[in-house]
Amino acid sequence: MRILIIEDEPGIAGFLKEGLEEEYFAVDLAYDGKRGLDFALTNEYDLLIVDWMIPALSGIEVCRQLRKAGSLVPILFLTAKDTVDDVVFGLDAGANDYMKKPFEFEELLARIRVQLRSKNSTDDMLRAGMLTINPATHQVFSGEEELTLTPKEFALLEYLVRNKERVCTRSRIIEHVWDIHFDSDTSVIDVYITFLRRKLEAAGCEQLIHTIRGVGYIVREPASP
Amino acid sequence: MNNEPHTTFPQERRSDARWWNMSLRNRIALYYTTATAVLILLVFTAIYFTVDRVVYRHVDEELQHEVAEMLPFPSRTGHDITEFALFLEHEINDDDSHKERKQHHHLKDERSYHWKKKKRDVDPEFVQLANSSGAMMIKSANLNQNMLQTERHRSGISFFNSRVGNSTVRQVQVPLFNTSGAVTGYLLVAVPMKNAIIVLRDLQDIFLVAFPLIILTLFVLTRSIAGRSIRPIEKVIATAEQMSQTKLDQRIPLPNHRDELYRLVATINALFGRMQDAFQREKNFTADASHELKTPLAVVKGTLEVLVRKPREREHYEAKIHLCLHELNRMGRMLEQLLLLARHESSTMQPHIETLRLSQHINNVVERVRSSAQAKGIAMTVTCADNVTVAADAGMVEMMVENILSNAVKYSLSGSSITIAVEQSGDTVTCSISDEGIGIPEEKLHAIFDRFYRVDESRTSSTGGLGLGLSIVKKLADLQHIKVSVASELDRGTTFRLRF
Repeated sequence: MRILIIEDEPGIAGFLKEGLEEEYFAVDLAYDGKRGLDFALTNEYDLLIVDWMIPALSGIEVCRQLRKAGSLVPILFLTAKDTVDDVVFGLDAGANDYMKKPFEFEELLARIRVQLRSKNSTDDMLRAGMLTINPATHQVFSGEEELTLTPKEFALLEYLVRNKERVCTRSRIIEHVWDIHFDSDTSVIDVYITFLRRKLEAAGCEQLIHTIRGVGYIVREPASP
Repeated sequence: MNNEPHTTFPQERRSDARWWNMSLRNRIALYYTTATAVLILLVFTAIYFTVDRVVYRHVDEELQHEVAEMLPFPSRTGHDITEFALFLEHEINDDDSHKERKQHHHLKDERSYHWKKKKRDVDPEFVQLANSSGAMMIKSANLNQNMLQTERHRSGISFFNSRVGNSTVRQVQVPLFNTSGAVTGYLLVAVPMKNAIIVLRDLQDIFLVAFPLIILTLFVLTRSIAGRSIRPIEKVIATAEQMSQTKLDQRIPLPNHRDELYRLVATINALFGRMQDAFQREKNFTADASHELKTPLAVVKGTLEVLVRKPREREHYEAKIHLCLHELNRMGRMLEQLLLLARHESSTMQPHIETLRLSQHINNVVERVRSSAQAKGIAMTVTCADNVTVAADAGMVEMMVENILSNAVKYSLSGSSITIAVEQSGDTVTCSISDEGIGIPEEKLHAIFDRFYRVDESRTSSTGGLGLGLSIVKKLADLQHIKVSVASELDRGTTFRLRF
């Protein structure tokens, strides 16, 4: 899952990036509204964390312009403005959620999960065949057995399972699982897919990740025996 | 003019119904009507008494004339009263039927003839002769059973109103004297007052009927006019009542004419404007203060939360702890400055004004900022005679100079220079602090003394500024009656001047 942080305060941007990356998110950082808007319009993000008072273009303006451009990406406002009027104003500008500084990092994670929760699921768990993924705890189970995955493997698996039954092109996988500083050498995906398949097969989850030659990969529910 | 009945004027105050709390238009109507009533009363009275006097004078002249025609035969004095009575009786009771005979009989009496002739033309007059004690001696026949009253307390010829039967008469009483000057009797002549009384009574009636009508009409009219004139005021009240802290952007529409109301509305609007500004400044200050205080708090909190989620390298811990300390220091400085401002605003801060050697304090400050200036390669030069003294608070002056100077260092380019010059001319000492920094755009100069104002709106803390420094300079200057001014040119530098 890839997140864009638009925040001018280096202290806050710093710990957000660090903390979120440790939660297996791919994180991009923009220090002003203009660059943030450019990033958001040219890249695929799963979530935006936007500070209200930022140089060049205010967070509100970034939000409005994104919505005007037709983007539906969840936006989470993060600001020291704390009156009811401010909250209402922010949400009305197109934000999905609002957090007042100072905030609890755990709460921020929970709110991010809420925004990423798919509409037709009753809980945060992601499922495919025997496989169950808990995005909150970064645990992957095959039946009752827990799998041990590296952060990148987890992020790749999570992205594929979230987009179950849909083709994930190599470029989209790169965009959502790796951050912007990654060179567009997509062969790294094949390497991670190989690792993942090996671990899943060892746990008894076979025939989950399928290759669409020349395009990318897809996770399909295995046909019932 | 519209047809709106005046009773539907909005917002009429009826809550306190005591008369002295009446509405403005009722008050105007009442005052105006009362004044007019008094005036009309005076005019009517004047007219009444003038007419009254004219009427009486006319009647009295007639009476006098009658008396004068009667008296020449026996002059008023020196004749026996009985002789006169005989003559008079003969004259007054002469019946019209005997006129021809009488005329011949008294041909020599031309005047008598004229008198009697005239008598036929005018209203009947009553004549009576009384003796010295007031008893009737003779009277004209037209008096019938009635008598004219003798009022002996009156001396000389006197005119007065009296009654004959049921009608009012105007009467003249002429005392008659004998040769020795004693009163021997009274000649009484009276004419009915019918016409005169009708005139006066009509006048009175007209007044009694017309006065209340005029007053009532006047009151209603005035009330309506007053209501119409103060309707714009009602509008002003209605708009002002709708105003509240959240709707301060409303303004009362200005009337078309530049009259007193226009000035009232303009004044109220200006007041609302100032209030709105004040509220907005306060709101901005609260928002800015909360932003400035919460940001370092959020940094420290978030950094530490992320830090304890996992075990990390020693260097990582150290780096994060330094970051937190830096943020806490920033917060500490900010709190200190906010407290300073708050203390000033609650006026608990009193300057200790004393005579200071300015050069000594400027040098103290220069020493304090020297390290940060040297780090940027900025040269500082001080031109100040040792003997220049000013009356000010030492601590405050140092704080002001330090705030300006550290600002200058912050916004100066590496390798430039800062000049501090103190000049004395007469009683005023001017301390100017000039840098060769980035300068301040002209349109932003006015705002730099506002709390939390920073020319660079990004609020990045890369310059480390808090936006409180110059605000504090201004407050401290105001406390000590020091004038602060600023001149700036973009990319050329800024000069702050303190005039003691």
